[in-house]
Order: sequence, then structure tokens, then C-alpha cells
Amino acid sequence: MSKSPSAHVSSADEKRQVRFAMVIDLRRCVGCHSCSVACKSENEVPLGKFRSWVKVIEKGRYPDVSRQFLPSLCNNCANAICNRNCPVRATYIRPDGIVKVDMHRCIGCMYCMASCPYDVRYINPLRKIVQKCFFCDHRVDKGLEPACVETCLGRARIFGDINDPNSEITQLMATNPVVTLKPELGTEPHVFYIAADYDAMDPTSGVDINHIHFEEPY
Amino acid sequence: MDPSNVSVLYNSPHQIPLGILLAQYFYLTGLSAGSFVISVIAILGGKVEYKPLGKIGAVVAPLCLVLAPMNLLVEMAQPLRAWHLMTYLPGYVNLKSPITYGVLLLTAYPISALIYGFFVYTENMKMSKIFAIIGIPLAISVHGYTGFIIALGKGRALWNTALMPTLFIVSAMVSGIALMILAAIIRNVYMMKDKPEKEVKADRELIYGLGKFLGGVIVFDLFLIFNAVLVLLTSTKESFHAAELLLWGRYSIDFVVIELLLGSLIPLFIVFYPKTGRSFAGLTVASILVMIGIYAMRFSVVIGGQSVPLH
Repeated sequence: MSKSPSAHVSSADEKRQVRFAMVIDLRRCVGCHSCSVACKSENEVPLGKFRSWVKVIEKGRYPDVSRQFLPSLCNNCANAICNRNCPVRATYIRPDGIVKVDMHRCIGCMYCMASCPYDVRYINPLRKIVQKCFFCDHRVDKGLEPACVETCLGRARIFGDINDPNSEITQLMATNPVVTLKPELGTEPHVFYIAADYDAMDPTSGVDINHIHFEEPY
Repeated sequence: MDPSNVSVLYNSPHQIPLGILLAQYFYLTGLSAGSFVISVIAILGGKVEYKPLGKIGAVVAPLCLVLAPMNLLVEMAQPLRAWHLMTYLPGYVNLKSPITYGVLLLTAYPISALIYGFFVYTENMKMSKIFAIIGIPLAISVHGYTGFIIALGKGRALWNTALMPTLFIVSAMVSGIALMILAAIIRNVYMMKDKPEKEVKADRELIYGLGKFLGGVIVFDLFLIFNAVLVLLTSTKESFHAAELLLWGRYSIDFVVIELLLGSLIPLFIVFYPKTGRSFAGLTVASILVMIGIYAMRFSVVIGGQSVPLH
């Protein structure tokens, strides 16, 4: 496995900006949910909340059926609406593109949660602040890969710097058809999917929207 | 794929971050802005018989605005950090966020409304007119910004429309006028016993006129709602689902029955039908129905908008 990318390891002669992103290759995903477990364990995500989870659907009519997966996490958008709407600058975008929440500044107004088109944020019921996936920036800063990438047994998740032409993620994105969730919103998501299913990406497919069970925010 | 052949086996829980308290906050700022605008129109109108309306509005508007932000404090997960919003320093608050506009307006508007009220009650017409003119844009933007909060919630199909600020301001006017009619009726019935018959009668005519004005604003509100719903029905898939929730789905009782039928169409009939429009009983019923209807509108916009699944 190639050496993990890090903000610190860019060589001195080329001063290019690092931009982290993730590719999820669904041809390799087996739907084992180990990314969800690794994320919960790494980031101490409280019970009932998820930074990263795998949506599972079944489609078709017997005998032509299949089960499709959609691993979901914060898209760390380049044009993040949560960053624009946060009144106290608790949400900010790092130079390498990771969208972070400053836990000391967050006032818990939940406006970012209401405006996020991907519903990836949650209120931590113990700390009473908004949290979400940060691509495990504490690991990335030390040169490691995010916990979900490290644990993914099918190597469906590829993490890296899309501005580095030699990184695995850049080569994968250049040679495969990739899609993002809701590209029409102009948020410029940086989690890309290979072979994602149309119905799995559609939030309302297979859902009776009149009988959804709502979760209390905290 | 035919949606009936798709079933979701596992997904993370669907949350509704902004709850009923936020809807209540919108409702109370709307009441405040609406009654302030009526008060200002009465003061700037200049006629002596309008003056009681100016006084009622000058009390009701700051009162509603004291209650409104308390809902926000209870709704927030970190109420003790609310002061983070009030540093007003560009490095600490995000000037692009509509909540920041709101904090500035929620500071400026009550102060100007209180000064205005002081001059109205001390019969200083010149100064109260000056503060009326300062207060009108503040009152309208205090409610307009709540429309921007909703409209800039990009992920929600029901919210993300340029119509929202206008719709919010117009519905604020509707509920504010209804509250003013109720207050004016109470004043006329219980507080004018020692006044001459002629003055009481003029006051009554004023209230009937306010009822007609309420009817006119309700018509405009219905027109905006019609526009919003028609576009929702023909826009994206999420928009269609949002319209479905409101029109024949989970929130149809709140939207169609309470807001449109009880809160708009029946009051409209009451205020324009001469027999009921020129009676206090009719106007009282119409005003109470309108205020319940606008509460249902805030609820269905805030909760209904967040009820369409996003993942």
C-alpha cells in the first residue's frame, strides 16, 4: 500500500496546495459496516449518532434482485453551505479542504444541520455541540489515513490528495467514471463514488415520506 | 427503478434539527413586526382617530420581541454561549450568515421600538414620527431576515426559494394586524366606558377598517402561497415531495385545513361579508383564526421543510 498522504510531506521544490478527497469504489464494497464501527471507535461518536454510515437498499423483483450500498460521510464540500451559514465561525475550511467545527466556538444553533443538503451533522448529546466527519484530520496530520479507510477490508475507500498527480486517488478519478451526491447544488462535494446506485443515492426512493420516524436532535 | 421495488434496509436516523420553538420564534417576531408596522402607519397617517392604534402597537411590538429570543435560547444546545453572537467583531462572527444579520437587527429594533413607544406615549408627535420612519425598515428586516434564514437553508427544497422573505413579511403583517384588531377590540369594549359616544363610534369604524385591511393582506398572502406551491409541484423531485407533504401528506391538516381553510379563507369571508365584517364578534373570531393559521404556517414551513429525507 502506498505511503499515506499528509499536509506535511509535500516536497520543498513544488509548493502546490494539498486538497484532500475520498473516492469510494462501490465495486469493492461488501457492505460490512466496518467503516461505521471504526469511525465510532476512533472518534468516540455517541450512541445513536453516526459520522460515517452505510446505507443499504434492496431492489428489484425476485429473481432479479440486488443489494446496493452507499457509504455516507461528510462530503467536505469546497463551497460548503454550513461554512457560509455558521454565525460564529465555528465551522471553517482548512487550507487542505477539510471542513471542521471548532468545538469551543459552536453555540449549538443547529443552523448548519438544517442547511446541510446531506444531513451528515449531528449534535453530540454529551458535549452539546455539532460534530461531523473531518476525514480524521488528527490522523491525517500525523501522516495516517482516516480510520474508515484504514479498516476498509475491500479497499473500497481511497483517501488522498487530488492535487498530487501521482496519488492513487488522482489516478483512480482520472481513469474511472465518478459521481458525487447532489452535484446540482453547487456545493462541490469531495467524496466521489464509483459505480454508485441511482436508487441508493436517491433519498426518497423506497421511503414512505409520510411515515418517517424522526430522531430528536439531542 | 420503480420505487415500489426498492426497500431501504439500513440508514442512519433522520433528524429534525430546528424544532417547534424556532417556528414559535418566527411567529413572535412576525407578530411584533406586523403590529409595529400598523402602529407606524397609524402615527404617520396623522389623523387623530388613528392615534389609539399607534399606542397599542407601540406596546405590543416590543412585548412580542422580548418573548421571541427566549425561544431561541431554549432551542440552542449551548445557551450559555449565546454571547458569542454578540461580539459584533467581523473576526468572531460570520457576516455572511443570516443569523448574524438577525443579531444586529434584534439589538437595534427593540431599542428603536422602545424609544418610539416613549415618544408616542408622551405625545411628542414630531419625535415619534422620526422614530417611526427609523423603525419601519428595522421592523420589516427583523422579520425579513427570518425569511432569509429559511431561504438560505440550501438543503431543504421547501425553504430554498427567493419567495420566502416576502412570504414571511406578508404573513407577519397578517398575524400582526389580527393581533392589533384583538387589542383594539378589547380597548374599545372594556376601556372606553367613560368616553363620549361619538369617540367610541369612530373607534369602532377604525376597527372595521382594520378588518378590511386584514382581508386585503390575506389575499396577497394567499397569492404568494399559491405561487410557492405551484412552483414546488413542478420543480425538482424533493420539491414535489415537500409539496406532497403539505398538500395531501403528513402536514396537510396543518397546511390545508388550519392554515388555508381556517386561517385564511374563513377569515376572508368573515371580514368581507358585511354582516360579520361589521361586528366585533365576527372580527374577533376572524382574528383568532388568522393567528392560529399563521402559527400553523410557521410550523408547516419549519417542520415540514425538514421532513423530506436528505440521505
